[in-house]
Amino acid sequence: MSRAVPAAVVAAVRRSVSQVCDPEYPEVTIAELGILERVSSTDGGSTVRIELVPTMLGCPALDVIARDATDAARAACAGADISIEVAFVDSPVWTPDRIAPSAVDFLAREYSVAVRRRSANASCPICGGTALEHRSDFGPTPCRSVEWCPQCRNPVEVVGRVEFPAATGAAQSSPAAMGAAQSSPVPA
Amino acid sequence: MRRWDSMEDFEAFLDGGGLVEPGDDMPDPYRQAVFRFIELHANSEYMGGLTERDWIAKAPGLTNKLTALAKTQDEVGHAHLLYMVAADMGVKTRDEMTADLLAGRTTFHNVFHYRAHSWGDQIAIAYLVDAAALASQQAVFKNCSYGPYKRILRRIIAEEGFHMRNGEELLLKMAKGTAQQHDMMQEGIDRWWWPSVQLFGPDTRPDDVLLRWHIKSERNEDLRDRFVQKMVPQLQAAGFTVPDPDLRQDPDTGRWVSGEIDWDALKAAIAGRGPDSERRLRDARNAWDGASWVREALDEAAAVPA
Repeated sequence: MSRAVPAAVVAAVRRSVSQVCDPEYPEVTIAELGILERVSSTDGGSTVRIELVPTMLGCPALDVIARDATDAARAACAGADISIEVAFVDSPVWTPDRIAPSAVDFLAREYSVAVRRRSANASCPICGGTALEHRSDFGPTPCRSVEWCPQCRNPVEVVGRVEFPAATGAAQSSPAAMGAAQSSPVPA
Repeated sequence: MRRWDSMEDFEAFLDGGGLVEPGDDMPDPYRQAVFRFIELHANSEYMGGLTERDWIAKAPGLTNKLTALAKTQDEVGHAHLLYMVAADMGVKTRDEMTADLLAGRTTFHNVFHYRAHSWGDQIAIAYLVDAAALASQQAVFKNCSYGPYKRILRRIIAEEGFHMRNGEELLLKMAKGTAQQHDMMQEGIDRWWWPSVQLFGPDTRPDDVLLRWHIKSERNEDLRDRFVQKMVPQLQAAGFTVPDPDLRQDPDTGRWVSGEIDWDALKAAIAGRGPDSERRLRDARNAWDGASWVREALDEAAAVPA
């Protein structure tokens, strides 16, 4: 027997999964971080499919995020005979541009973490200084680099693309290459 | 740059919840005390990272290896941030701090002077030691008067919370596992319970400047007590015993009361006379020397014009 999941259930799952928080930043949701890509009913089946975009392929939090998303989805369709499928997709590729402005502000204010978007250089989330000095490509997590703000004399962690040498510069303009660069610390 | 005319003025500023920033003309005793505290924290994160690193290859299964890898990155990353803030205080350079640590002239937390024998030990560390460290860090963060340190602690706490959750999951998995897994976990708890309790330190002295200058916000004994109240029922519910024959529950209050705590063991460990101190420091020196080619390569790369 095949049937589609009612649209209202899909919407309820979407609402519920949107509220799942990041394991490290429990005040920021996976929707705000641009990790939640799509919630849909799979063709003809009684399954709701949740597509997530990993910030990095090697991110150690992926299992926890998948489990939390599954739990949230189950809670939203409690009692109904519906299976939940959670998948990490490799397209689109996550970039810092996917982080919602509200989350960018929150990370800066609460965690002193800056987000480097493709369009602009990162500035110091503490004092607004723009002369950040690069100290390390990787910080406590591989998705953040470590900079030093000489103006307020604080270390600053920056989410986003590590600046690689000019040799790889041409490839950096495509989002796919940026994703690849993030998961492989050694420039070609 | 802010200046204070007297220690009384400075302490009134701290009592009012003021945050001291690097450019401020802070009293020298405060600078020294904050520096020593951050250096100890940084050393401990670094030594913790090396411990965790040992388990990347040994952890069972790919998921646990990835977790060990991520935790290693976390701890070393935390040390890096803390050393940056400490070095900026102008008391010692980063190189001096590294040299002092590797020569055994400065200290790191007692728990990194013991050996992790088995996977059960490693889970006990994730469950007990990480919880104890997190509780201490939360207490420092709550009222911390040094701005740059408080900002780093905010992130460290978020990340350590994730470690603790991992420790809880692994402990419950062992609790539901085979008799052999259960025994291995119990042995880990038996080895790591007391070092975790001792990590909080002896009762805080009334004249402790760390409390007065808002570096710590709570007394060691209060933090330690809260740890015991939380951990004893959790361990018992999971089917494990706490290796304290004198542990008892107060019939009136329902609170758990520990037996005598061996503070000499804590002192010996911190002084570098713990069961595994010598090997730990030797490993740290080997790691430092073994990575010298990376530092040289980075220095040379930085010297090449772009």
